[in-house]
Amino acid sequence: MTVLILTGPGDVTADMVVDHLNTMGTPVLRVDPADFPERASLSATFASGALSGRITTGHRSTDLREIRAIWVRRPGQPGAGARTQAAWVALESDHAWYGTLRALPDVRWMNHPDAHTACRYKMRQLVLAQSVGFHVPATLFTSVPGDATGFAETHGPLVCKSISGHAPDDPPLALPTTPVPAGTDFTAVAEAPTCLQTLVDKRSDIRLTVVGSEMFCARADQLAPGQPELDWRYADPESVRWYPVPVPPDIRARTEGFMRLTGLVYGAFDFAVAADETWHFLECNASGQFGFIELAAGLPISRAMADWLTGTANSS
Amino acid sequence: MQPFALTYARRPIPEPETSFAYDPEQQLNVLADGTPAVRRPKVLLEAGSTTSTAGSKTHFDD
Repeated sequence: MTVLILTGPGDVTADMVVDHLNTMGTPVLRVDPADFPERASLSATFASGALSGRITTGHRSTDLREIRAIWVRRPGQPGAGARTQAAWVALESDHAWYGTLRALPDVRWMNHPDAHTACRYKMRQLVLAQSVGFHVPATLFTSVPGDATGFAETHGPLVCKSISGHAPDDPPLALPTTPVPAGTDFTAVAEAPTCLQTLVDKRSDIRLTVVGSEMFCARADQLAPGQPELDWRYADPESVRWYPVPVPPDIRARTEGFMRLTGLVYGAFDFAVAADETWHFLECNASGQFGFIELAAGLPISRAMADWLTGTANSS
Repeated sequence: MQPFALTYARRPIPEPETSFAYDPEQQLNVLADGTPAVRRPKVLLEAGSTTSTAGSKTHFDD
């Protein structure tokens, strides 16, 4: 069997899994689809009722029939390097690449592209999370200033966050989840849809990483109430101390329900824990980072990933 | 008028400088002495290469 890993070269979190797979003696082909077709090739034949072919990089090659697991980690776009008819070449490349991989039989996907894409939509996530029993902060997407003002009056205090999870790139900017001051003028929500959400007066953050049926939970407590940086991703690293905690049984059951509904096999969940210990669902990142949690909290996530990809995990 | 959410935008966290480079032969990032970077967790943490915003220039902040 071969495990196909789709990610870029600088992804050392993927390295953590590759290292385990190497130790296990499992063949790995690591390739960034952005390198296709310039630096990585694909040739797939469907004839006489059988699909065959190869993917080849500068140093390795695998028979398509050997691929038993595909980890869609942090792939670039196929055909990203095209210079002539760039959009068309990229589309052709995408269909050649993912069309072939999707057609391979008996392959385990982490995560399947359809499940991953569907889970990127925040409002759908929130509705699904509520349906499995999670506490979900009241949330508004709007381009209507009056609706934003009304929401602030009934559901404030609020935070503002990105809807897509993607930061602006022209020029590049960071967009942390940020408290919205009382009395804010919401006129500018007419310029672009805006996500406003009830601020959870949190005492801790939780990152719950799910790999198949295994769950790895880490908690970081607020060092001081009302810590100025709400979004731990942008806080001083010294102020965010992750430590392992058990998964409460009710959270486990709800998380399993969410994973079933979304079709995900990997997910990194973020919760805000209130003073009464209620866990408030914030989001599930279908390709969320886990290396920093493994290193900081000592949770063996990369080993679990390797076990799942090779079908040797308990849940496999 | 700029979109409301950009009121709260700030300069991005710079991509981390790393002391390792990808070795396509091993399919791993390695230090100058050839040691896989994953064998040096302290280096990874200091480089910030495994954190939630790493690679966010091209991927979702997660």
